[in-house]
Amino acid sequence: MDVIQPRTDISHRPATPVHPVAVIDVGTSSIRMAVAEIHADGQYRTLETLSQSVSLGRDTFTRGRIARSTIEDAVRVLRSYRKLLQEYGIDHSDQIRVVATSAVREADNRLAFLDRVYSATGLDIQALDEAEVNRITYLSVQPLLKTKPELAAARSVIMEIGGGSTEILVVHRGDVLYSHTFRLGSLRLRKMLDSHNETRSQERQIMRTQIALTVEEIIRHVPAADGPDDQGVELIALGGDVRYAASQGTNQSPLHDFERVPLAHLQKLADKTLDRSVDELVRRDHLSIPEAESLGPSLLGYVLLAQRLKLNHVLVCDANLRDGLLQDMAARDAWMDDFHEQVVRSAVSFGRKLQFDENHSLHVANLSRHLFEQLQKEHELPPRFGLILYLAALLHEIGFFIGTRGYHKHTYYLIINSELFGMSKQDLQLVATVARYHRRSSPKPTHEMYMRQSREHRIAISQMAAILRVAIALGRSRSRRVRELQCSNERNQIVITVPDVEELALEQLALKQSGSLFEEIFGKPPMIRTKPLPQA
Amino acid sequence: MSPEHFINRELSWIEFNNRVLDEAVNEANPTLERLKFLAITASNLDEFFMVRVGGLQMQSRERGISTDPSGLTADQQLAAISERVHRMVADQYSCLAAIDKACEEAGIRRVSSNDLREKQARFLSQLFDREISAILSPQAVVGADDFPLLANQSLNLCVQLEPRAGEEDSLFAVIPLGQSTQRFISVQAEQGYEYILLEEVVEMFIDRFFTGEKVAACVPFRITRNADMAVREDMASDLLAGMEEVLDERKTGGCVRLEIGDNVSQATLQFLMNTLGITEQDVYRAPGPLELSAFFRQTDLKGFDHLRFESQRPQLSPEFEHATSVLESIGQRDVLLYHPFESFEPVVRMIEEAADDPDVLAIKQTLYRTSRNSPIVAALIRAAESGKYVTVLVELKARFDEARNINWAREMEQAGVQVVFGVKGLKTHAKICVIVRREPQGIRRYIHFGTGNYNEMTARLYTDVSYFTTDETLGGDASAFFNAITGYSQPQRFDKLEMAPIGLREKLLELIAGEIQRKKDGSDAHIHAKVNSLADPTLIQALYEASQAGVEVKLNIRGICCLRPGVKGLSENIEVVSIVDRYLEHSRIVHFHHGGDDIVFFSSADWMPRNLDRRVELLIPVESSHCRRRLLKILRSCLHDNVKGRKLRSNGSYDPIKPSKGKRHHSQQFLYAEACEAVQRQEDSQRTVFVPYWASDGGAI
Repeated sequence: MDVIQPRTDISHRPATPVHPVAVIDVGTSSIRMAVAEIHADGQYRTLETLSQSVSLGRDTFTRGRIARSTIEDAVRVLRSYRKLLQEYGIDHSDQIRVVATSAVREADNRLAFLDRVYSATGLDIQALDEAEVNRITYLSVQPLLKTKPELAAARSVIMEIGGGSTEILVVHRGDVLYSHTFRLGSLRLRKMLDSHNETRSQERQIMRTQIALTVEEIIRHVPAADGPDDQGVELIALGGDVRYAASQGTNQSPLHDFERVPLAHLQKLADKTLDRSVDELVRRDHLSIPEAESLGPSLLGYVLLAQRLKLNHVLVCDANLRDGLLQDMAARDAWMDDFHEQVVRSAVSFGRKLQFDENHSLHVANLSRHLFEQLQKEHELPPRFGLILYLAALLHEIGFFIGTRGYHKHTYYLIINSELFGMSKQDLQLVATVARYHRRSSPKPTHEMYMRQSREHRIAISQMAAILRVAIALGRSRSRRVRELQCSNERNQIVITVPDVEELALEQLALKQSGSLFEEIFGKPPMIRTKPLPQA
Repeated sequence: MSPEHFINRELSWIEFNNRVLDEAVNEANPTLERLKFLAITASNLDEFFMVRVGGLQMQSRERGISTDPSGLTADQQLAAISERVHRMVADQYSCLAAIDKACEEAGIRRVSSNDLREKQARFLSQLFDREISAILSPQAVVGADDFPLLANQSLNLCVQLEPRAGEEDSLFAVIPLGQSTQRFISVQAEQGYEYILLEEVVEMFIDRFFTGEKVAACVPFRITRNADMAVREDMASDLLAGMEEVLDERKTGGCVRLEIGDNVSQATLQFLMNTLGITEQDVYRAPGPLELSAFFRQTDLKGFDHLRFESQRPQLSPEFEHATSVLESIGQRDVLLYHPFESFEPVVRMIEEAADDPDVLAIKQTLYRTSRNSPIVAALIRAAESGKYVTVLVELKARFDEARNINWAREMEQAGVQVVFGVKGLKTHAKICVIVRREPQGIRRYIHFGTGNYNEMTARLYTDVSYFTTDETLGGDASAFFNAITGYSQPQRFDKLEMAPIGLREKLLELIAGEIQRKKDGSDAHIHAKVNSLADPTLIQALYEASQAGVEVKLNIRGICCLRPGVKGLSENIEVVSIVDRYLEHSRIVHFHHGGDDIVFFSSADWMPRNLDRRVELLIPVESSHCRRRLLKILRSCLHDNVKGRKLRSNGSYDPIKPSKGKRHHSQQFLYAEACEAVQRQEDSQRTVFVPYWASDGGAI
């Protein structure tokens, strides 16, 4: 077995200006790979793209599990990809990212699949959850959106119909207003129909009905026009099927980032495709079988949403999941500011729904951020945890919406069950747990949700919760009088100096009441000191 | 399209061969070159019978009613071919007679048994006893069952013996002359060079084989077997084993042609026709020696340089100087070469350099037909041995080269090269080599695209385009191409390339349609193209439509052309010129006017259904302006050749072109002169020049 080398210590990586990487996307009907090189400035250049059909979705959506033969198909494809990667010297785990989407995520035997692939190819596939897919999709489109101010001004619905699911992002002025993954997929739909015995026109009727239900759900989340300056609505379509449809237009030139495709063209192609059998499509249009199966239902989805939005065109975008993954790798742990903002916005709008004290929450969140930065030497956590802590601080009081008694526990489950944009289930667990520990008990071995975490994460949670408690204490006056602070590690305590404030009795008291978590985890108690204005 | 708009493909091919024969007849060519052209016509016919006639005969046996695009059934085509080739064979032998005469004048003489001097006859008698009779073994034949299994296209003698006393029927014997014996036997001459053919010598002493019998007649003959047996890929689990089977089958396929000396007796002929199962239509009587293709070796005779073309050394393009690295030069700017006027050496050097360059990560290339002891194969093996990732697609299905290709494949595999034996159901005909190199700014791909094989021997004889580039988009496409043909990926959408059988024809049709539209909109429109063959009905139809719309279509087609040019209302705006000259025209270049924004491609593909549907071919755009200008100049030169160019008439025959106003344009000469001048210019610009002040000029300082 080819063993992937463990992640190299970043500091030991040779300082080459370019770094070859690969991303592999194990999708519902094919396994695709992009080989790229990342340049020092965080830009990347795609060198090769590959794709091979593997009918994972067909197995999962009909039988609930991936057939043994299909697993071996996937292994064969991934082995051939690894061979190509060797040519580029790509063989470290931090150079390869392999992700899988709904077909693997939903398969009963996904663990067997992941293990088989790992033992045969050395590739560690990460089954992405829905929020992670949303996040990566956003990463793939965002650089393109930035180049089109007129698009950014419009209310855009970004839609990608895949084999197993449909992803929706609603974006306005660069803000993600809504993101969701629907279990509506072209292949899933096709397989559902296969189990019935309908005529072709009945089939199409069922498809329409199914898609229309989802479309109505999407429409509810598209904001209404905001006044006379409104730039209208655009539908940005992603995905292989719609890209294929766009390439079948009159001009055969390569796709631009955004190709304006008349709705009539899509509609005609959807009709034509649905009229033909899969065999016919394979023979006449050089499509692979999975492509032929998904093309019709998928195009119908875009058409129905566009019609409902009263559009006469669709903007087909050339971005895909692999682009997003590459963006993600290029940016590494330094989460991009833009993305950061999107997540925070989504958390704020969640808090508003639960009527949180927005000003106070933002204040505590900012204090947490300052502390996190100032105490970097103490906790040594990567920047990603700064965002986790920020979100926990922002949402720590939302449990009040349910009741005041033990509200921190309400906070916990509200966050766990939320759909914050870009936050994976794993991330939400962290946010919720940190928020839960903002008061009362320190983490204990009897706390199941705490013990479920890895040791590394348990330490991070304690550190973040401890910082959060200090931030809450500093915000206790609710007057937001503490705006700046400075931390210093002294012989037997960690001193937080707050300038420009006369006295901090309330805060100091609050800090005492906040318990011993800080001292337990950092080994020294915290101490708040004022640094009064110099006497005139 | 109605059948009369289409020239039959086989008959068009025969006309091509006839143009080669014209060069053999042409007294302006040196004598031994004429002999070479004649040998080529014979070897061309050999292949034609093996493959095309063999195929048609099989078709005729299976179902006799389907017709080709020109409306002929297989039987009708066979009859027409037979009639035309019989005339051609007559022309070949009258041409041979003329060449013989010219040779004699120059001191090369083929003697016959009748005009041997005594000394010569004695030598041959000894030679026969000592060597020839030991190698040859006559086989008595009673009936069809014990007729020996004769090798395809080898020379034999058929001997008829007088009936023995008391018997009615003649006995027959066959003597295969084999390939181990020397066909051309030198005999001592008073002056010049004299030789005699093996079959004549054997005939002289034939009685010595049959002591006690009386030889009634002795005649040379040669059979051609059907070789059009495709490898049944889906049946053969191992392609190599499959290929080897085909090679065996080819030795024993059915007989499609009998060539025989014209002095054959009726009895012998009847006997052979019965045993071989052929009809009069397939019998070709030769009023001279058989197997004219063998005379090819006579054209290399030492000491007769004045009977050959003046040698033209391929020029080393000034783009690549001897001392500098080819990869480095390509890195500076794209380079286009035109072989054989320019040397193929940089292509070989590029691969050799890559093999030894520590920063090269991978080399990928196609090999279709390559030379014996190919330096390219050696370099690829060296690269693999030094740890580079080398992927080579060896096309085992390259016809008649299978045996040789199997050897390369095995050798390279052993060295660690990843060898791919072609693509299932398709022949890989594209010529491409990609070198992946790690550089400080990132991965860089050096690509060579060609129209000719990676074979430095044929690169001296065929006119072909070589294009070197590091264009990033073409590099991505080239990688995608290899991922597709090696099965790493399904074919991806290319950004610049087009590939058969997926989108090449469609692209051409789209560009033709574009010219038609522009013409209709009132702009200028023209299509200029050079290919070896045009037989694809869809493309022909599109070109007719272009002509009807008023688009100027100029075609340079060396071989088969099924399009009828110059027919009023159909194709009056189409002109077809064919060049047959000392180098085989082999490049394919296409130019679309495209509203003044010229689009120029070159390609590995001929415009035939087999190339566009059953082969992996590439159409490569040339975008860098200096290369595009060069390519256009080459195309223009070929279209305007009025020395070796012949114009296709609407009835399918070809006429020489008369230079108008005495302006001769001989394309191959012109292009060679250009290549030489480029080198000269380069040398001049570098040469240190001393400028003396002559006293006679006034001596003014």
